[in-house]
Amino acid sequence: MSVDTAVETKTVFGAEVPQPPQHGAAGGVMRGLNFGTGLIGGIGLAAVAGWVTAILTPSSASNASFAPMEPTYVYLAVLLGWVVGFMLGMGAFVGPLRWVVGRDITHADAEYMAGKDLGRKRYWKYTTDHKVVGIQYLVVTLFILGFAGLLAMLIRTELGMTWTSLFTPSFYNSMIGTHGIAMIIGMIVVISGPLGNFIVPMMIGARDMAYPRLNALSVWLLVAAVPMLVSSMFMGGIQDGWSVYQPLASQAPVGMLGYQMTIIIFAISTAIASVNLMTTILTMRAKGMTWSRTPIFVYGIFAASVMGLYAFPFFQYAQILGLTDRVFSTSFFDPLNGGSVWLYENLFWLLGHPEVYVILIPSMAVALELMPVFLRKPLFSFNFAVAGIVGVVALSGLVWAHHMYMTGWAPAANYPFMLSTEMISIPVGFLVLVAIGTFWRGTAWTRLPLMAVYAVIFNKMIGGVTGVYLSDVPADQYFHGSMFVVAHFHFMLMGAGLFGAMAGIAFFFPKMTGRILDERVGSIGLWTAFIGFQITFISMFVAGLQGQPRRVLDFDDQFNLSNWISTIGAYIIGIGMLIFLSAIITSWRSGVIASSNPWGSKSLEWQTETPVPLENFPVLPVVTERPYNYGVPDPYEAELESIDEDLTEKAGTK
Amino acid sequence: MSTSTLPVSPTTGEPITTIARRARLGLWLLIVADVAGTIALVISYSYLWSLNVNGGWAPPGATLTANQTNSTLPTTPSTATFAVEWPFWAILFVVVVATALMWFGYRSARSGNHAGLMVGAGLSFLVTVAALIFQWIQMSTFPFDAGDGAYASAVLLLCASNIFHLFLLLFIGMGIFMRARKGLIDKTNWYQAQLLSYYMTWVCIAFLLGAILTTFMVESPNTDPAIFGTFKQQ
Repeated sequence: MSVDTAVETKTVFGAEVPQPPQHGAAGGVMRGLNFGTGLIGGIGLAAVAGWVTAILTPSSASNASFAPMEPTYVYLAVLLGWVVGFMLGMGAFVGPLRWVVGRDITHADAEYMAGKDLGRKRYWKYTTDHKVVGIQYLVVTLFILGFAGLLAMLIRTELGMTWTSLFTPSFYNSMIGTHGIAMIIGMIVVISGPLGNFIVPMMIGARDMAYPRLNALSVWLLVAAVPMLVSSMFMGGIQDGWSVYQPLASQAPVGMLGYQMTIIIFAISTAIASVNLMTTILTMRAKGMTWSRTPIFVYGIFAASVMGLYAFPFFQYAQILGLTDRVFSTSFFDPLNGGSVWLYENLFWLLGHPEVYVILIPSMAVALELMPVFLRKPLFSFNFAVAGIVGVVALSGLVWAHHMYMTGWAPAANYPFMLSTEMISIPVGFLVLVAIGTFWRGTAWTRLPLMAVYAVIFNKMIGGVTGVYLSDVPADQYFHGSMFVVAHFHFMLMGAGLFGAMAGIAFFFPKMTGRILDERVGSIGLWTAFIGFQITFISMFVAGLQGQPRRVLDFDDQFNLSNWISTIGAYIIGIGMLIFLSAIITSWRSGVIASSNPWGSKSLEWQTETPVPLENFPVLPVVTERPYNYGVPDPYEAELESIDEDLTEKAGTK
Repeated sequence: MSTSTLPVSPTTGEPITTIARRARLGLWLLIVADVAGTIALVISYSYLWSLNVNGGWAPPGATLTANQTNSTLPTTPSTATFAVEWPFWAILFVVVVATALMWFGYRSARSGNHAGLMVGAGLSFLVTVAALIFQWIQMSTFPFDAGDGAYASAVLLLCASNIFHLFLLLFIGMGIFMRARKGLIDKTNWYQAQLLSYYMTWVCIAFLLGAILTTFMVESPNTDPAIFGTFKQQ
């Protein structure tokens, strides 16, 4: 082809756009790459890296504690080989390499990479379309939550069988740690990933995310991180809880490297996703979408991205330092050589507490987003809701040390941190008040998504109130390290977070899949899980008040009853979640076909057709009013009507 | 149409100025994440420096006062001591030169001086390679090993962070040079060179922070440190 002599053009959204030279078929090397080649690349490179490292590592190599280092080096090499090989096989490096050599992507390449005409294959590829990425996030997140939920069932089974032990203490500890971090990762992603990617660009009237290839990178990095976390269970596991406090982490089996590498990779994925979401929201909102016309869900996702962006690097670096302590014998956290375990705790909780709001704020934002739709009235005090979100973000970085009251670190700092922690309940309270105010005198159209909102608000109130006790230094002296803490954070993260995600999935399901989520089965699942949830964790509050410590396999007989009840409740949660999951799967496969706007919502994502076309909107929309003007006469229309009346009156007079 | 005068993105049809604005914002946000990570290292260094837990901040052979060496660490007799300070500043200087050259290249691109862009981007790349070599030499000739106390750990991680930044600059710098050579960066489409200039400026600041720490916060001010037992399993 003699393409060098004349610049080819292509019609892109109605305009003739000059194209760079097209080398070969559209998509180039990406045509041959998919999840299968990713697996081959990852497993292959992991095997080679592990084998070479095993040969190169002297069998006498040991660390500062004289522990043999060969398994450490080999496992680390396997993990690194897996990540690099998997991303190589998926095609993650193709774009950057093409950029370096100056072979720019054409419109045809971009369309191929967005999955145009690829059918279901596009879900198995490094696809850039935000809708595909949203679905990929949903599936990966459901897998992570399912895996962590299975571990939760095993943990509760062990604790419920008070007359015997099913697992060894070390395996039990490993399950606790893996369950914790898997749930945290799943909950961080469960709304921002699927809904943030699928819905937000449409909600703001954009054609895609700001950086489509980075979008694909963020989800596939998450996919790469999952096997590393699972593999750690087969390498001795994570035996010191999800927070992997030092120096226990340095003494833990080699599986700890799986945790550390998972967090390092997950933090990169989160940073990329945060940058992408924030840039999309800041620069790609439709014409006329001022901040007062931007839906509250967008605010929630933006807030979570802000917190993820500034806080995750601390967690990431805490794990990098922990990894170097283990592998290279540095001494950041080893007191013998000048290190400090408090350093770890500070770095860890600098993320650890904002992360709670990374989970909670999107969940509350989903609730506030769909309430006006089902109550057919505007959000009660939109500005108050925004102030609540801004307040949480502003204070989220100033509360981390309330997790360290009892560690002995800086006792004089306890009271300022108590104050800041109690202060953050004010903006969080704003959000609850906005929800209650919106309900006030509303006529509820009680469908499945709104039912989940009821659950969110109920759980949030219990979680919030019990949290105030834990933020209080004297009360925390008693509650710290007890099952009361476990019950509290489950009310916040699962009770508010996960039920909020269920609300969001039920609400946006028609737009995402083109089908209506089976309300009958879905409702049964939701309420079964809700009842099980109350049984499990209210009983756990009782056990905590009685003094049962957390993370303990064998406990005194006085705690038996509450543990039996909690275990029965946990099984009920499990049954409820399985029912809800079955509603998702069956509805997705053969549910009732959804219209483009089954809820009669006013926001932009519902104004385009379903299934959503590749470019989202044939013509980019222009926003002329606030998103929740249900039941409120449009002021412009009212003005026109009054003018009409005046004219009629004048005509009559004449 | 005005497509010949106003370059547009071949994939979305948007004006390059729109793409550039978006990319600039994305870069600033990525720098925020990078700053947070660098602050984590700065906190780690200064925290351990201020605590001097078990007297283990200084390497075991370091001279602390006229008649006192750090003999607290129960390691074999060691000559490990603090690092020489000037190489941190020398490497910073080299990185600043690379950054200045990139800024020259970027400004040349904006003014339509393609030769200036090529010279600036090319030399910037070469000087960055030199910085990487110097950084590597410094790391491999430190008078301590990773296991010689908290100071050694913190300094090595700061240098590792520098190396990570330099590799990133090399990759992007090579891309800018090759794209400039192909005419993909020019008077109308210069934003990628601008982004690299911005990022290199931040990298200079990160190097500066490291140099300040390793120059002005060497001997721990805590002469009566807390003594904890070791928690390591034997």
